[in-house]
Parts: sequence; structure tokens; C-alpha cells
Amino acid sequence: MKQQAFAHFTDTYLAAIGFFLFFFVFLGILFWIQKKGSAKYFDYLSHLPIREEEQS
Amino acid sequence: MSASNAKTSNLIQVEYDDKIVRMFTMATIIWAAIAFLIGVFVAFQIAVWPLNFNTSWMTYGRLRPVHTNANIFAFAGNAIFAGIYHSSQRLLKTRMFSDFLGRVHFWGWQFVIVLAAITIPLGLTQGKEYAELEWPIDILVALVWVVFAINFFGTLLKRNEKHMYVSIWFYIATIITVAVLYIINAISLPVSFTKSYIVYAGIQDVLVQWWYGHNAVAFFLTTPFLGLMYYYLPKAINRPIFSYKLSILHFWSLIFIYIWAGPHHLLNTALPAWLQTLGVIFSVMLWAPSWGGTINGLLTIRGAWHLLRTEPIVKFFVAAITFYGMGTFEGPLLSVKSVNAIGHYTDWIIGHVHAGTLGWNGFLSFAMIYYIIPKMWKTELYSKKLANIHFWLGLLGILLYYLSMLAAGITQSLMWRAMDNNGNLVYPEFIETVIRIIPLFYFRAIGGLLFMVGFLLLFYNIYKTIKLSSHDLKDETVQISATPHTVSLSEHGHRRLEGMAATFTVLALIAILVGSVIEIAPTLSIKKYIKPENKVAAFTPLELEGRDIYIKEGCHNCHTQMIRPIHSEILRYGNASTIEESMYDRPSQWGSKRTGPDLARLGKKYPDLWHYMHMINPRSVIKESIMPGYPWLAKKKTDFFGLRKKISLLHKMGVPYAEKELTDADIIAEVQAYEIAESLKKQGVKEDIADKEIVALIAYLQALGQKGVQ
Repeated sequence: MKQQAFAHFTDTYLAAIGFFLFFFVFLGILFWIQKKGSAKYFDYLSHLPIREEEQS
Repeated sequence: MSASNAKTSNLIQVEYDDKIVRMFTMATIIWAAIAFLIGVFVAFQIAVWPLNFNTSWMTYGRLRPVHTNANIFAFAGNAIFAGIYHSSQRLLKTRMFSDFLGRVHFWGWQFVIVLAAITIPLGLTQGKEYAELEWPIDILVALVWVVFAINFFGTLLKRNEKHMYVSIWFYIATIITVAVLYIINAISLPVSFTKSYIVYAGIQDVLVQWWYGHNAVAFFLTTPFLGLMYYYLPKAINRPIFSYKLSILHFWSLIFIYIWAGPHHLLNTALPAWLQTLGVIFSVMLWAPSWGGTINGLLTIRGAWHLLRTEPIVKFFVAAITFYGMGTFEGPLLSVKSVNAIGHYTDWIIGHVHAGTLGWNGFLSFAMIYYIIPKMWKTELYSKKLANIHFWLGLLGILLYYLSMLAAGITQSLMWRAMDNNGNLVYPEFIETVIRIIPLFYFRAIGGLLFMVGFLLLFYNIYKTIKLSSHDLKDETVQISATPHTVSLSEHGHRRLEGMAATFTVLALIAILVGSVIEIAPTLSIKKYIKPENKVAAFTPLELEGRDIYIKEGCHNCHTQMIRPIHSEILRYGNASTIEESMYDRPSQWGSKRTGPDLARLGKKYPDLWHYMHMINPRSVIKESIMPGYPWLAKKKTDFFGLRKKISLLHKMGVPYAEKELTDADIIAEVQAYEIAESLKKQGVKEDIADKEIVALIAYLQALGQKGVQ
């Protein structure tokens, strides 16, 4: 069945490259945002828009 | 390089460029009024054909692209710029890089819009959806975009806040991706100042076109608006976004996946199966990041839901994000091949698009306008009550619009495919399926009208608000504590990426190029997909001229040229279309909507006289037709001489024309036109039409589906 499904595919390696790239980028981001010590940093960032500047 | 450095950084004064924000905001409101008005008008044109007025530039085929371009580039475009100029200065804690470039950007963009509004009704079009503008305007668009990019990246470089908030990420992705999409999709060779042929042909062209078309939705109507949402929603309710982590995941997944989804506009067509499958898979995958953004937006309001009662702005935000969620739920659903077989080419798609544009882009822009205007004019909004009424009218309008189009689309699609016990079509006449949904066209138009009336309330409200202001408007000056790029806030030093604008931009570019290259590159060698035994002939010079008239009149806005391998469709229109049949088409006219029937195999189906009468007055042959009449085609002269240049250019691009056709293109065309005109004369046409456009168009229509091996 698998062979049937792929029979109409050409350039499967391209799709595979794309998939793996995405997959590992995704894992990378997941790892990256979970890293230790980021909570404070994200807190800083998420408050960027609403931190009031002093009007002069 | 530690947090302590950040704390000791200097206090400095920054004066924001607010004038440019005011300019773009006003442009947004003015163009929106025009874009919506044309939208309502074309909606009524479909319900009431006499509204086409038998006038070339008033006809639906020419006005519909004006409506789409006006909404995308004039309304949404200016809204994006207003928001980016306003929020970027505040997030980056600096004035824009250059006031002058900002003005060039502003006036350049408005000039492009005016040119578009003039050229498209005149029929100067490349015949590609959302990319209709002819090559000189394309170049202008690219230049203005570069000016914008320089101004934006210049601002990034001189910023006083090292860390780039997620909105800035979305803006960066927007700027680079739109540049890539627009330029690649627009590459064409000019025949004259007002006519060009796209370099891609056949499936290459459709693939590039919908890679562009879909990503115009992704990177012009989604990513910048998400950036705006991530800034203005927290501002409006004074709360940080629900999850910053989610926004990072949302961003990267979204831009990586979106770029692949274009082929879902070409499902069940002659496009190679592997590309269709990729399109489906990535469209379905889009569910996740899209809903990540939706959830992140809606949960931001947690604990502040009471504002929904008192603040119309919050109403607009919540509805906008909800429409984004619903639209991005429906999109992947429609990208599933079997659902797409039902929805494609019908009004369901029109409903889907408008739920997104009216609900998401419209309402988010309105929220932003209601927020920015009082801030920029240093006053309060004139009337919250009016804004509330605007909201409810708009919402009612969208619901009417969407539901009527959903019902129309599914009804018509089921009628197209209805078969009786003997396997024959129940509704073999296309017009039967049109008549059934005309009442829904009225409802749609009324929905659009309600949406516009709501918008007029905004118009009035804003006018009054500005009148209330003191008129003595100075740029806002604030005192900020700078965290220059050289300082890293993070104690662990692993947060470098957000601080490095250039690296970030390159990574985002790579993310969008991966999908683009993988999907488009293989089709550049078109030969791989063309079976030698399926050779097709090129159009004769006269037919080619007719084809250009077909494009000029915007016929593809209502007629497709792509018969899908679906049983009912083959029964109705003939054998499924092949890749080879459109291999010389620049641009392809596969189309995306069937307000009228498919024309891929129209040739030889009716006599020339039928076409002649049909073009002059469609109701003379199909009593209940809603198609506009094209009487001017029998009056305007065909440009025979220009064919020499066209044919020789196409020959250079690989269309197999014989030597004789190159040198005598005009004479060959005139002979063919004479023959058609003579036979029409014998059948009773009194006017002298041999040198008129209608003959060229008839020649083309009769050649459709006749060029390949049957």
C-alpha cells in the first residue's frame, strides 16, 4: 500500500528534506523556549508593549 | 554583559514620528471606504446584471480586481503601515530611521494605489489574481517596498531596546517574504509599456501564482496583523500576552509551514499529485500554529473579560481573533482534497475569504484605528456608543455574508454533481445552478452593505474625534531607558538571537525559502511532466490576440479553464484537462471561481454566431444569464500590428511558432479574422466586424480545448 501511495510521487527526497528540516527546527524551538532561566527573560519581553514610558 | 549593565544604561529622550502614523491611519480609513464601496457594488452586480451598464470599465470582470487590490493593498496595506510605524517606534524605543523615507514610502504607496485604480478598470492587467498590476507599476511597488524595508531595518539598527518583541519578528517576516513573493511572481517580459507576458507558463505559472496568492494571504493579511495583535491587544487591555513562549513557537511554525500551502488552490487539477499532497499536508499542519496564535490572543484577555461589556475596542479584538480562529479552522478543512472537491470554484471560498478579511483583517484594523486615533490626536474617542453600533452592524454583516455564501457554494456544488439513476447530470444546463442561488447573492450584498454602513459610523466617529482635538499636534516625546544592542539582558547569555536582527532576518528568510524552493524548483524543468505524445499546438496569432482580450476583460474572474477528473465534471465539460494543454499559456487561466461554466473545452461547442450574439447580449441566447454584455468588443479595433511583437516575444520564450508566423503575424491574423467575419456575415451579422476585437475573441473561444491530441 505504501508503494501505491508513493507511486505518484516524484522527488520524494525533496519533501523528505523539507519535513525533516521542519521537524528538527520545531524540536529546536521547543527546546529553546523551555531552557532554564528564560522565565524572567520572557516576562521582560512580554511586558515590553505595556511598560509605560515617562512622558516629558 | 549582564543585567546590571542594562540597569545602569542611560535615560534618553526620544521624540516619535507621529505624523507618519497619522498619515497612514487617515489613508487607511479613506481607502477602506472606497474599497468597501466597490465591494458592495460588485456584489450587487452579480445579483443584478444590468448594473454592469454595458460599459467596459464598469464591468464586473474589471471591477472585481479593483475591489481585491483596493482591500489588500490600499486598506490592509495602509493599516499595516500605520500600525508598524506606530508600534515599532514604541517597541524599539526610537524614532523611525528617516522621516524622509517614511514620506517617500507613504506617497509612493498612495501613488501605486491611484495607478492601480486607473489601470485595472482600463483593462491593463497581467491576468493573475492579486497580481494584476502591469510591469511598470510592479517595479514601482518593489521600489516603494525597498524604501519601506530600508526605513524599517534602519530603525531596527538604531533601536534603544536590544530585545525585539514578537511583533517585530512578524514585521520582519512580512517585509522580507512579501518582497520575495511579489518579485518572483511578477517577473515578466514587456511587449509594450502596458502589456507584458509572464516568464512562467502552464503549471509553472499556476504554481508560482498560487504560491504567491496564498502567501499574500499569509504574509500580507496574516503575519503583519498577528504582529499588530500582539502589540495592540496587550495595549488595549493593559495586560501582557498569555504566553510569550507560545508566541515564539507560533511564529516559527507559522512562517515555516505557510509557505508550502499554496498548492491547495490547485487540488484535483492537472497539477502533479505529489505537489497536491504536499499542499494538503502542510495546510492541515497549519491548524496547529494558527490556533496557537488564536489561543494566545484570546487567553490574553483572561481576567479582563469584563472589558468586553464596556470597551468596544475589546469587542473588535475578540471578534477579530475569533474570526481568525474560525478562518484558520475552515482553511485546512477546505484543503482536504475531498472537501475541496466540493468547495473549490464555488461561493463557499468567497465566504471563507470574507470571514477572514472582514472579520479578522477588518475588525482588527478597526480596533487599531479606534485605539490609535485618540492617542495620535491627543483626545478621547468621540462616541463609544457609535463604535458599539459599528461592531454589531459589522458582525451582522459578516454573518449574513458568510452564511449566504456558504449556502450558495454548497447548494451549487451539489447541483453541479447531482446525477440521476442513469448516471446523467440532473442539471445539465449550468444556468439552472446559477438561478437557484441568486437570492443568496442578494443576501451577500446586503451583508456587505451592513458592514459598510457600520464602517461609515467609524468614519463619522473618527471625523468627530479629530474635530475634538486641539489641532496643535506635537510629536510625542518620551523618556526611555535604553538597552543598547551591546548589552545582553540575559544572565545566561543564550538569548542572543532576539538581539541580532540580521541573523534573525536571515533565519526567517531561510524558513520561507525552504518550502518555496522545494515546491517550485522541480517544476522549472517542465519537460518532466509533459508526455511527448500529448503535444499541443500554439494558438494562432488571432487566437492569441483573442486570449489577450479575454485576459483584459477579466473573464477568469468568473470562468475557469481546468476540468477536474471528477465524474460529474467530465460529463458536463469533457475530458479532464491535462498539463500539456496549458503549457504555452502566459499566464495560465485555470481560474479559481466558476460564477459561469468552465471554458477549457468550449471550442466548437457552439457556432460562431452564438458567440457573437452571446458577447453582445448574453440574454439573447441564454435567457436567464447573469453575464454582463460586451457590446464594445464589436466596436473596438483589433491591434493586428502589435501581434508581430507579441508572437516574436513568445517565440523567444519557447512557444513553437513557425518562421512565417513570426514575420507575418498580423497578415495571418487578418486572414483568419476575415474568414470568421465573412461566415458571420452569411449568417446575418450586418456590421463590418472583421477588424474588431469580438472576432479575435471568438477565434480564441473556438480554439479552447482544440489544440491538444484528443
